[in-house]
Amino acid sequence: MVSVKKDVLAICAILLIAAILINGTEIQSVDEYYLTHIDDITPESETVTISIRCDTILDHYGDLDPSLQSEEFVPADGVILPPTEYVLRPGDTVFDILDRAARHERIQLEYQGADENSYGSVYIQGIHYLYEFSCGPLSGWMYRVDGEFPNYGCSKYELKDGQVVEWVYTCDLGKDVGAMWMGGSFN
Amino acid sequence: MKAFGNYHPAVLMVYFLSVLLVAMFVTNPVLQLSALSGGALFAMALERPGNWARDGAFYVPLFFMVAVTNPLFSHNGVTPLFFLNGNPVTLEAFVYGIAIGVMVIGVILWCKCYSRIMTSDKFLYLFGRIIPKLSLVLSMALRFIPMFKRQMHRVSRARRAMGLYAADSFTDKLKSRMSVFMAMIAWSLENAMETAASMKARGYGIKGRTNFSLFRFTARDGVLLSVCILLLGVTLVGTAMGEMAFYYYPRISHLNVTPLALFLYGAFGILSFLPFFVEIKGALIWKYYVWKM
Repeated sequence: MVSVKKDVLAICAILLIAAILINGTEIQSVDEYYLTHIDDITPESETVTISIRCDTILDHYGDLDPSLQSEEFVPADGVILPPTEYVLRPGDTVFDILDRAARHERIQLEYQGADENSYGSVYIQGIHYLYEFSCGPLSGWMYRVDGEFPNYGCSKYELKDGQVVEWVYTCDLGKDVGAMWMGGSFN
Repeated sequence: MKAFGNYHPAVLMVYFLSVLLVAMFVTNPVLQLSALSGGALFAMALERPGNWARDGAFYVPLFFMVAVTNPLFSHNGVTPLFFLNGNPVTLEAFVYGIAIGVMVIGVILWCKCYSRIMTSDKFLYLFGRIIPKLSLVLSMALRFIPMFKRQMHRVSRARRAMGLYAADSFTDKLKSRMSVFMAMIAWSLENAMETAASMKARGYGIKGRTNFSLFRFTARDGVLLSVCILLLGVTLVGTAMGEMAFYYYPRISHLNVTPLALFLYGAFGILSFLPFFVEIKGALIWKYYVWKM
C-alpha cells in the first residue's frame, strides 16, 4: 500500500499549490474596482493637479495603429483628462495619483508592476487604450512634474503640495513634448 | 487513401506554403475558420476514423488552454468583465484568445497533413540539390516527432516486458516515464548522428550524383498549381487592400461583408477545402471501381 500513500502525498502537494495560487488572487467586479474613495478638498488639504493628454498623436495620425484611429480613443482636442485637482495623501507618488484619477474617472490603465521589471518602478504601458508603440516605434507615455521630466519611474516620485503632474503621449521618444535627455540631441 | 499526395511535390509545396502563409498571418476570423475547417477535414480524410476521437482529445483541450491563457496576460480591451489582482480581464482578450486558438489548431492540423503528404523523399527531391545540408536537417527535424513517439512506445514496451515499468501508482508511472524519456534523449542524439553519417556514406550531397524519382509534372499538376497561385494572389491582394482587415483590440471591429470581401472569403475557402475535395473525389472513384468489379 506504499504506492497509494505516494499518490495521496502527490495529490496533497498539488492541492497545496492550488490553494496558495487561489489565495494569492483577488477577484473584483468592475464596479468594485472603480469604486474609489476620493477625499473632499478642504481649504487645509494638500492637493496636486493631474492631466492626461495625447496631442502629439494628432500630428502623427497616419502612424497610429488603424484600430485606434477613432474619436473614441483619440479625442479631437487630445485631452483625455483635463487638469483636475486631487487631495494628496502622505507618501503619494505620481503613480498613486494617476491610479486614483484613472479609477475615479474610469479611464483604462495598464501598467507593469514595480516587481516585474529591472527598474524597480511601475511602468505605464497604456492609458485609455493608447499603448507604448501604438503610434510608431518611438511612442509611449511620459510624465512631467511642474514642467520638468524626471529621469526615473513614476512610483518613485513622491509628490509635494501644489505640484502639477502632466501625463503626455510622445511619438518621438520625448522630443515632441520637450524632454531632451532621451535620444541624445539637445537641439 | 492519399489522392492529394499523388500530385507533384513542387505543387504540393506551393500549396501548403500558401495556405500556411495566410493561416498564420491574416487575422480575419472568416479566413481563420475556413483554414481550420479545411485543415480538419483534410486531416480527417487522411486519418482512419478510429483515430479521430484520440486526435480530438488532444486538440480540444489545447484550444481551451490557449483561449483561457490570453486574457490572463493581455489586459487591453474596452469591456472589462472582472478585475484579477487589479488587472482587467476583458471580453476582447477572451475573443482574441479564441481567435488565436483557432489559428494555432488550424496551423497544427495543416502541419500534420503536410507531414503525412510531404514525405522525406519528396522534400529531398525538391531541395536535396539546391541546399543539401539544410534540407537534410529540415527533413530530419520534420520527421523527428513521429519517430520519437514510435521509439518511445518501443522502449516503454521493452521496459515493461523486463518488469522495470512500475505502474502501481501515478507517481511511479511518472518516474518510469521520466526514465524512458531520458533514454530517448540519448537515443535521438545518436540517431541523428547515425542518419547523417549514413547519408554521407551513400554519397549524399556530392556533385554529379544523380537521384532516381518517380515524380513527373503532368497537366493536372499544372492546373492545380495555377489555381493555387491564382487563389493565393487574390487573397493576398485583398489583404493588402485592407479589405479583410479585422481588429480585436481595443474594440472588436465589424466583419466586412461587402461583395468584394465575400468574393475574397470564397476564394480562400476554395483554396483551403481543395485537398479535401480531391480526397473525396479519389475515394468516390475508388468506391466506384470496387463496386464495378
